[in-house]
Amino acid sequence: MRLGTLFAGAAVGLLLAAAPARAQELTVWHDLGDNGTQWFERLGAEFAKTNPGVTVKASSFPTDQWFGRVISALNTDTAPDLIYNNYERVIRIQTQTGKVSDLKGALGAITDKGFLAEDDLRVATFGGKMIILPVQRVQMALGVRKSWLDKVGETFPATWADVQRVAVKFREGDPDGNGKADTFAMALQAAKPRDLIHMLDLFTFGSGLRHTLVDPQGTIVIDEPEHAKVLVEFLKTYTTYGYVSPDTINHTFTDMYQLIEGGRGGMFRVGDWNVKKWDSQAIKGDFVVGPWPKFKADRGNAVVIGGMRGIAVPENSPKKALATAFAQFMLTKPAQQASLELVGAAVRKDLDTAALSDRQKFFADAKGTLVAYDFPESVHSWYPELEAAFHRKLMTALAAPPKDFEAFVKETAAEMRDLKAKLAAK
Amino acid sequence: MAAAGLPPPPPPGAPPLSASIASPVRTSASWRESLSRDGVFYAFVAPFAILTILFGLWPIILSIQVSFTASATALKPNAAYVGFENYRAIFADPVFLASLGRTLAYTAAAVVANVAFALAVALLLDSKLIGRGRTFFKVAVFLPVVTPDVAGYVVWKWLYDRSFGAVNAALDLIGLPAFGGLASVGTVTIAILIAELWKHAGFYVIIFLANLAIRDRALDEAAAIDGATAWQRLVHVTLPQLRPALVINGVYALIQFLKTFTVVVVMTKGGPADTTNFVSYYAYQLFDQGRYGEATAMATVLFGIVAVLALTAYGIGERGDRR
Repeated sequence: MRLGTLFAGAAVGLLLAAAPARAQELTVWHDLGDNGTQWFERLGAEFAKTNPGVTVKASSFPTDQWFGRVISALNTDTAPDLIYNNYERVIRIQTQTGKVSDLKGALGAITDKGFLAEDDLRVATFGGKMIILPVQRVQMALGVRKSWLDKVGETFPATWADVQRVAVKFREGDPDGNGKADTFAMALQAAKPRDLIHMLDLFTFGSGLRHTLVDPQGTIVIDEPEHAKVLVEFLKTYTTYGYVSPDTINHTFTDMYQLIEGGRGGMFRVGDWNVKKWDSQAIKGDFVVGPWPKFKADRGNAVVIGGMRGIAVPENSPKKALATAFAQFMLTKPAQQASLELVGAAVRKDLDTAALSDRQKFFADAKGTLVAYDFPESVHSWYPELEAAFHRKLMTALAAPPKDFEAFVKETAAEMRDLKAKLAAK
Repeated sequence: MAAAGLPPPPPPGAPPLSASIASPVRTSASWRESLSRDGVFYAFVAPFAILTILFGLWPIILSIQVSFTASATALKPNAAYVGFENYRAIFADPVFLASLGRTLAYTAAAVVANVAFALAVALLLDSKLIGRGRTFFKVAVFLPVVTPDVAGYVVWKWLYDRSFGAVNAALDLIGLPAFGGLASVGTVTIAILIAELWKHAGFYVIIFLANLAIRDRALDEAAAIDGATAWQRLVHVTLPQLRPALVINGVYALIQFLKTFTVVVVMTKGGPADTTNFVSYYAYQLFDQGRYGEATAMATVLFGIVAVLALTAYGIGERGDRR
C-alpha cells in the first residue's frame, strides 16, 4: 500500500515536471469596444512570446456598466487581473474601493520610459499612489465633413467666426444635397451628468484656456472675460444660435454618434479612438480633422488632451505579479505600436506611423498645440460636487435660455463661489 | 334541535364558537393538525413561498441593510455601519427632495390619467356603440402592454423628435404650433405621461372590462325603466359596481408610477434640467457612481412610501366594499 502511494506520488511529480509551462489566463476589463478587445488579444499573443502559456482575455463593457462591475468586483474580492480606462475613472474606482495597487515600483523597474512626461505621471498619481501606468494619451480634435465643406465652398474653420459662418451654411445650405432641410451644423450632447461639461471642456481647452471652472488654487474662473466669452458662445451654440438639433438637451453620446455617423451633423468631436472606425465605416473617411477654433486672435488653436488612459492592477488581482508584468509590457514598443494601430493612441513617440491614414497621423504625430485638461478632481476633493451643481445650472440655461447670457454667467459664478466655500469648509 | 343548515349550539362550558375561530394563537397540536390536514396544499405552495422569500423579500432586506452602511464598504463582507447617516445625507440633498416632490406629483397625475382613460375606454368597449370590431379594439388597446418597454419608448422618442418626429409633422400639417416634446421643460412631463398612458392603460382596461362583464345588468335596466338618464346610471349604478376594479387599478397604478424608471432611462435621462429626474432614476444614478448607501436609502424611502400609500389605498377600497 505504502509502495503504491510512493509510485503514484512519483508519477504525478514526473508528469508535472514534464508538462510545458502552466497555462495562465489574465483577465482585463475595459470600455474600448471591439477595437480594444482586438488590441488586448494582440498584446496577449505578443506577451506570450516571453511568457509561454499566458493568454489574455479582454472584456469590454459600456462605460457606465464598467464602473458598476469594477467597483462591485473589487469590493467583493472577485476582481479581474487588470482594469483599463481613463485616469479619472480609475480615480473614482480608487475612491470607492481603495483597492487599486500603487504601481510606482512597477514603473521604477522599467528602464525605457523617457517618453513619459511629468504631466503624464502627475495624471497617473492620486493620493500619493500611482494608480495607472499611462498607456494612451486621449486626444480630441474638431472634425468637419469634407464633402459638406466642398459643397458650401468653405475650408476647415480656424476661428470661432469661421465656425459660425460655416455653421449657418451647413444648416441652411443643404450640404448633403438631398433637397431636404435635415442637417445640423454641429453634433453635440448634453443629457448625462458631466457630458455637458465634457463638451464645454473641448471649447475651453481647445481655445487655449487652461481651466473650465476652477484653477488649481480653487478660484472660480468662469466669469473672467475670456472664459465668460467661451461659456456664453458655448451656451448660445446649444440654444439661440440653433446650430445643434433641438433635442440635443436630451442627447447622450449614443445620440450624438447617431447624428455624426448618420450624416446629419457637420462639425463634431473626433477622438483619436474614433478615427480607425470612421476611416473605414460610417463616415468612410469623409471628414477633415484639425484643432479646435480659437476665440481670440492672440490665442492659438489647440487639440485637447482629455486625460490619459492607463492600466491598473487591483490589490486583489488573482494573479497580481503576472498582471503587473503585463502592465509593464504595455509600455514596450511592440505593445505601443499595436495600441497606435488598433486604438489610435499611444504614449511613445518612436512608433512607425507610415501605415496610418492622414487623420490617424494627425493624432499620432501630435504636431499641433496640445492643451491638457486641468484635472481639478485630483487636486480638490470637493470638485465633483461643485461640478455637478455647475452642470445642473448650465442645464437650466439650456432648458430656458436666459435673456442676458453675460448676466447668467456672473450669477452662476457667484453661486459657484458660495457653494465652493461651503464644500471646502466641510 | 338545531335548524337545518345551522351549526349545533356549543355544549355548556365550552368557549364561544367565534372565539375559537378568531383566536390568532395556535398551539403546536393545532399546527400539526393543520399540516396533516392541508399537507398537500403546503407542499404545492412551498416552492413558490421559498422562491418569493429568496428572490422577493431577501433582496429587499439586503437593500435596506446596505442603506445603513458606508458606500465604499457596502459590498464587502465586513461592511461599516453608519447608522442613519445615508438617510440624513439624502434628506439634506435638495436634488433628492425636489425629485421626491416631482415623483409624487407625477404619480398623482399619472394614476388619475391612466385610470380615468382606461375606465372611459372600457365603458366604450363595453357599450353597444362598438359593434363587430370589439375584439379588434380590445387587442389593439392591450397590445402596447405586451410590447417590450424599451422598444415602445424608443419609438415614442422618435415620434417626439422636434426636427423629424411624426408628432410635430402632424401638428404642422393641421396648422397647429409645434410641440416641445422631450426637449422642453414645459412639455416633457406631459410627453412621457402620454407615452406611459399608451404603454399601461391597456392593462387597466382589461381589469375594468372583466369587472364590467360580471356586473348586474338588471340594475341598469331597472334604473333605465325608472327614468334615470345615462349619466345617472353610470354614476349611481355602474361605477359603484366597478369599485373592485377601481381599487385594484388604483393601487397597481400607484405602485407602478411611483417607481417610474424605464421611460426616463430611454427617453429623457432625467432631463431636461432634472424635470423628469424621479426618485428611481436618481437612485440609479447614484448607484452607478458607487454611492450604494445613499442609493439604497433612497430606494428604501421610496419602498416605504409605496407600501404606505398602496396599503392605505387598498384599505380605503376594502372599507368601502364592506359598507
